[in-house]
Amino acid sequence: MLEVESLNAGYGFLQVLWDVSLNVKNGEFVCIIGPNGAGKSTTLKSICGLVESEREAVKFNGEPIGGLPGDLVSRKGISYISETLNLFTGMTVEENLAMGAYIIREKDKIREHLDFVYELFPRLKERAKQYAGTLSGGERKMLAVARGMMSDPTLLLVDEPSLGLAPQLTASVFRALGALNERQGITILLVEQNVTKTLQVTSRGYVLEKGKIVLAGTSADMSNNDHVRKAYLGVEGTGS
Amino acid sequence: MTDAGQLQLIEESFYARAVDWAKSAAGIAIITTILLAVVGSIDKGPYIIVNTLVTGGMWALMAVGLALVLGVMNLSNFAHGEYFMLGTLVAYYIITPMHESLFENYNPVLMLFAPVIAIFSAFFIVGFIGAVTDKLVFVPLRKRSKEQWMMNCFLVTIGLGQLLINGHQLIFGTVFKGVVGYWDVPSLSLAGVRISVDRMFAFCLAVVVIILFGLFMKYSRTGRAVRAVSQDEPGALMVGISVPRIHTFTLAVSCALAGLAGASLLFMFPSYPAVGVGPLYNSWFVIIVVGFGNVGGAIAGGFIIALIQVLTRVYLGEGWETVIPMLMLSAVLIFKPTGIFGAKVRGIWER
Repeated sequence: MLEVESLNAGYGFLQVLWDVSLNVKNGEFVCIIGPNGAGKSTTLKSICGLVESEREAVKFNGEPIGGLPGDLVSRKGISYISETLNLFTGMTVEENLAMGAYIIREKDKIREHLDFVYELFPRLKERAKQYAGTLSGGERKMLAVARGMMSDPTLLLVDEPSLGLAPQLTASVFRALGALNERQGITILLVEQNVTKTLQVTSRGYVLEKGKIVLAGTSADMSNNDHVRKAYLGVEGTGS
Repeated sequence: MTDAGQLQLIEESFYARAVDWAKSAAGIAIITTILLAVVGSIDKGPYIIVNTLVTGGMWALMAVGLALVLGVMNLSNFAHGEYFMLGTLVAYYIITPMHESLFENYNPVLMLFAPVIAIFSAFFIVGFIGAVTDKLVFVPLRKRSKEQWMMNCFLVTIGLGQLLINGHQLIFGTVFKGVVGYWDVPSLSLAGVRISVDRMFAFCLAVVVIILFGLFMKYSRTGRAVRAVSQDEPGALMVGISVPRIHTFTLAVSCALAGLAGASLLFMFPSYPAVGVGPLYNSWFVIIVVGFGNVGGAIAGGFIIALIQVLTRVYLGEGWETVIPMLMLSAVLIFKPTGIFGAKVRGIWER
């Protein structure tokens, strides 16, 4: 579904990603883990068109989309939920969700998606008329995921959903993502720092360090890998 | 709790909120303005209120456009007055031939609608020129560099203003091109005050356009997209809004509003090359005083500035007309730099 091949990207003179290659198949739940500043967010941003990249480096359903403007990428069915969320803070929850469905013109479909995300996050329904800027951290995160879901995407790129959340809320966000993947069949590419939790829910993963993919494999293998255990799980010694 | 008790509670909370509002900077400003207008009118006659409403409505239209591009595109448009000038020019060249041909074969219905046609053509033509300006000037500028964007815009728009002023002088000359009145009918008498139909129309038009603009921004798909871009540009891209297209549209609307103001005030401001300079400064006064990018505040601000100018003219004389608003501007910048109503542009100094 998504193929990234030898992607080089960065900001101006500063190159962040060096020959990053990864692929995500339909219906998978894949994660990218790695330390701060490794280029995890940059990878997602170059997939969804917020950072420049070469046209052929990113392919979605066989179609090259690298370097396309962000609005065209999102019209192809890719939703990006950023670290900073990028919510419209001066609009109500309901308006934010309506903006999420900007590319859909049929009123019935928008209604349908709205019912779906309200079912997923009942909390948002209670807050429908409240301004997004007045929501709590967890609610904002829910709103960002819900807004991303409003356009009925086939691929969801999620950037650090656990950032700044209490453990309990983190668990509920992960549960929601897992449910989306399992029940709705939505493909998810997740970037996370919370490695333990991430490897529990995802099926496959990549480790990105200093702008390069250093390790790839199934999540089960990864949590037994020496390097991952040492660097990210804080466990010394060999795995079982 | 009884119904009456509940009602009382609601009334009390409403009362408390009203008091809070009246104590805020916005409340103080608006209440002072209304009091000044009333006192001035009692002292010097109701013309003060009439003049304030007519010019204030138009300054509000200008300032709304300016605040809009500042909020959405982060663009400090110092050529905004020149779109006012283009509005007067378009209206003049449409109304004059119409009036001439109507003078030969009189038609009362056309006579009634000719000014409306002229004003709305100005709205659409100047809006189109605004869209072209964005494509020709700001799209390439944005592509070239995002650094020093505010400074670049400042310089580019000042240059653009000079270009339009001198272009006008080159093509149409420096003669005053104006009309005595749009409608050749006796003025209306309202509560003992005689108001010309032109002024009446200008005020009503401003009110209607501001209301329509507000509804458009709140409920329409495109209006919402414009607000989304002003609040979070990457977020707007992420939901599939074409940000460059919204930028073009925003500048077009902003210029169209300036053109509309120019066209409907043609009887007060005959078209000549530098006619837009005064309105430009006025709209900058407004948006600095109310707070950058605050579209709602710009409406109230338009009337506040208009009142101050009218009062200065009546009590201190014509020469003080720009001095007093300047003093007020300095006071606002010293004591409340975010403006009376609070700035809505985020990170304007950080970019």
